[in-house]
Amino acid sequence: MNTLRYWLIPLLALGLSGPPARAQNSEQSRYYIQQMIELAAAHDENGVTTLRRVLEQNPRPSPVDADAARTALNRGLAALEQNEPTAALSAFQQAGRNDPGNIDAISHLGLLYRKLNRLKEAEIALQQALALDPTRAVAWFQIAQVYGLQNDGRRALGALANTYRFAQNPMRAEEILRNIAENEAADTLRNAALETLRLYRLPAQAVIVPPSTPNAAIAPLKAPANPARLHPTQAAP
Amino acid sequence: MNSRFAALALALLFAVARADAAPGQYETLDYYVQQMIAAAAAKDATGAQTFREQLEQLARPEAGDSAKAQPHRRQGSDYLNQNQLKEALAAFRQAFIFDPADREIARQLGLTYLRLNRLKEAERLSVYALSLAPAQAPAWLILGEIYGQAGDGQRAAGAFVNAYRCAENPAQLAETLRRLASTSRAPALQEGVRLALEITGSEADAKPAAGPTMPAPAPEAPAPTTAPISAAGSAAKAGSPIISGPAAASAPTPAHPEAISGVLGMIARRLESLAGPTGKAGPEPGAPAAARAEAESPGQRIYRRGIPLTCLIATSRDGKTANLGSGLLVSADGHVITNQHVIEKTGNLAVRCGGRESAATVLKRSKKPDLALLATALTLPDAFVFNESYSQTLIGQDVFVIGNPYGLEGTFSTGVISGLREIDGVRHLQISAPVSPGNSGGPVMLADGTVIGIAAMGLKAGQNLNFAIASVEVIASGLFDPSRMQRRPPVAP
Repeated sequence: MNTLRYWLIPLLALGLSGPPARAQNSEQSRYYIQQMIELAAAHDENGVTTLRRVLEQNPRPSPVDADAARTALNRGLAALEQNEPTAALSAFQQAGRNDPGNIDAISHLGLLYRKLNRLKEAEIALQQALALDPTRAVAWFQIAQVYGLQNDGRRALGALANTYRFAQNPMRAEEILRNIAENEAADTLRNAALETLRLYRLPAQAVIVPPSTPNAAIAPLKAPANPARLHPTQAAP
Repeated sequence: MNSRFAALALALLFAVARADAAPGQYETLDYYVQQMIAAAAAKDATGAQTFREQLEQLARPEAGDSAKAQPHRRQGSDYLNQNQLKEALAAFRQAFIFDPADREIARQLGLTYLRLNRLKEAERLSVYALSLAPAQAPAWLILGEIYGQAGDGQRAAGAFVNAYRCAENPAQLAETLRRLASTSRAPALQEGVRLALEITGSEADAKPAAGPTMPAPAPEAPAPTTAPISAAGSAAKAGSPIISGPAAASAPTPAHPEAISGVLGMIARRLESLAGPTGKAGPEPGAPAAARAEAESPGQRIYRRGIPLTCLIATSRDGKTANLGSGLLVSADGHVITNQHVIEKTGNLAVRCGGRESAATVLKRSKKPDLALLATALTLPDAFVFNESYSQTLIGQDVFVIGNPYGLEGTFSTGVISGLREIDGVRHLQISAPVSPGNSGGPVMLADGTVIGIAAMGLKAGQNLNFAIASVEVIASGLFDPSRMQRRPPVAP
């Protein structure tokens, strides 16, 4: 069944992609990105690789004005440095319009949307960036955070798995994942990082989350009628 | 269309096949490091050198942001020196994320994991650090210690041999190895050092390591010191090619002196602390006793005084370790009190107090209270003082417990006296200090260092509901001649 799928996916991809002019169909690319996430979460190496190749076959969209896009991108980066998110956002949007294939502009747009908590827009922008370069680990990491914030553990796991897979330095990525798995406050992302480490059989240590405050109304602190038995504190070997 | 499909399908198949065949980056690094270890352990200096050269030829990771990494690295070193391991881990991790190409950061992160007993992570980081600079003697030393702690003496030996060959001062490194063997209680580590010294021809100078005469209790208990190393690592050992060749040692390669001295010092300190209770719990080991006592917290003072007098009791039956428990020295001529249930139905008894060991015999025992008196050959100038108090004024007072839960020798915990309870007619203190199986028979002390009770049992249900037989019961039991017992009468309320 799996083998059949590997043949069918490229076949379908080819059939659906059609002539190059229509290749950069954003809906179709987003579908592939979602499939990459799903397959990564299932630790399906071959499936991820296949879809990655399919995405890489897509021709890049032609720029409207590449120079203007670069200028806008630099303006956006400067604004980001100055901590002026509104100006940065406007500049990155401009850069994206001038050159829809400018991956730096698109991924920065996704990053900024995420920082501004505009999660749906962040997801779309990052998917667009990943469609342009499905091996961009930073964009996978950003989109994982978006899914984490949306409490979508499964997709956060798939995106983090791809972050690790495509990381330039896997040891660094491993430590980043371990850091999240041990220190991240948000449960979904923390658990996704832990699962990612386990997926790749990397050493991981689950943190002990303190128990939630007991609700006396739900669990009255009543001693049992039959007192618990005492046991000697003696170690069995 | 057909030809386009065929070409794409072939390209995809090729890509898929290639993805399957290509090993991960770490696995590649690990392969070369393991080959270096295997060659070194097989006395094949040429083979080790060959693999080292191959490792050096691998592409190095892209340099990170050193300016951002260095402050974290310095902070991590400070924390590590102060034994604040979690803080050190956070700092080194941050430094590593900023600059994963810095060998010092990678090595120190590996060392921190080792000190946290996270051996798998320690192994990965150390292998990675060695891939950045295969001639780092300190990193080899750390890797050897990791394998020793993990119970793999052969690989420990290979790593130590490589440390020796990379050391700037091999004689000093041999000395460090000897110290490591004499202070460590991991048999595989001792074996690794022995083999390494033999391979490098340094064993002639070796002083015999003071191995424990009593069976080490750690493997009997679910001790966290023996976490298995990754399967990838062991596979390398099994699958390493047999390389035969001249056993001549290669010339020592220049190492990194700035790193070696620091790390060796840290390892020595760590091993000193791992070597078991020494009574050196003060903040400044070299400081005058009075100044040290002044700087100590009550807990530190109690631990320092109490640890040499607290015993590990191991019982055996049919040649196998049956029980582990705790006890306390109550006289200068080696009498030890423990719980009766610790020594119940036992064949042989062994006792270790303050790093010294002795066989023991049961002099007296009683079921109510649950106590036993043992005779040992241990003589000490000091003994515990029993506090005869047993009144409501005790409730809320701090208590300090020393014992060997699950064989974790010399574990110190604190809590308060939560209540006074009479159980089966025996006066007990309810305490909140954590105790676990293996604590039985250990001292429960007040802030003045006197023994107020003997840890005996706990409630499985609930949390920190533990019980100690009150000292007043120990005295009243007549188990030990009260006139020979050091006692402190109750203070009038």
